Amino acid sequence: MILYTTMPQELVFQTDPSEYEKQKIVQYEGIPLLVSMDEGQNCTVLRVMSSDPNHFMNEKCTPGSKITLSSLQN
Amino acid sequence: MNNDVKQNGSETPEQELPKEQAPSLVEKIQQLGQTNVPQLSQDSKIHCLTIVGQIEGHIQLPPQNKTTKYEHLIPQIVAIEQNPKIEGLLVILNTVGGDVEAGLAISEMLGSLSKPTVSLVLGGGHSIGVPIAVSCNYSIIAETATMTIHPIRLTGLVIGVPQTFEYLDKMQERVINFVTQHSNITEELFKELMFAKGNLTRDIGTNVIGRDAVEYGLIDEVGGIGAAMKKLNELIDIKKSENEGLVQ
Repeated sequence: MILYTTMPQELVFQTDPSEYEKQKIVQYEGIPLLVSMDEGQNCTVLRVMSSDPNHFMNEKCTPGSKITLSSLQN
Repeated sequence: MNNDVKQNGSETPEQELPKEQAPSLVEKIQQLGQTNVPQLSQDSKIHCLTIVGQIEGHIQLPPQNKTTKYEHLIPQIVAIEQNPKIEGLLVILNTVGGDVEAGLAISEMLGSLSKPTVSLVLGGGHSIGVPIAVSCNYSIIAETATMTIHPIRLTGLVIGVPQTFEYLDKMQERVINFVTQHSNITEELFKELMFAKGNLTRDIGTNVIGRDAVEYGLIDEVGGIGAAMKKLNELIDIKKSENEGLVQ
């Protein structure tokens, strides 16, 4: 299908609002992380949002690792 | 005899030390429930901002898009400006461009930062990535990296053509002014690259590759992370010596 329009694709095919809620920014041991929420309290780290290069060396929060929200609140 | 005295002298403090430390350790454990583990200083004096994917404007892009959000970057730049422990900032770009206003906002924040800044373009620094790259004190481009210079585009509804044109023209002027003020490229050359025909498949403009960007005066140097860190440390030293001069 070819769609001839000047409208941006994201306006034509709008994403379901629930998709946006899956991603969240949380603080984990002082490191801001972008996480995607899995089932229940579990979430997967997508991106380290910090500008401190040392935060990228923390093995606990490398992208792809799983963390639980209960450990975030401590 | 002398040896004995020396040995005794060196042994006694060793024996005494544990005795002195022991009660204080026990006290600490009783008071706080744990001992203080000596913390290594984890603060890096150089911070690094990565500008990746698409620069997001007022409309939030779907989560599968890789985006740089200005609401994340701007507070980080404010924190970097305020934190006295941070001495320099390295900006790494690999972006396809995006929202003009958000890109200009980030560029202005970086351009007005009082601390030394060095930008490194890896892969691509297209479209609105160009003003972000030149906003830093010193800009470096990888030899294989490219930057696309093209006129401002608007996708979406166009109501009131003359007004829209005027608005876009002014917006473009802002980008051109910013780039010419923060780099060595002339306005004529930048506009020439912007409106060049036959280089891009579906657009007018030019795709400038590493070495060409330096020749045009857009970027200061061809290099990589080593060159970027070296330059940043140099700039930090210059700034330090300036500050010391002021104190005297």
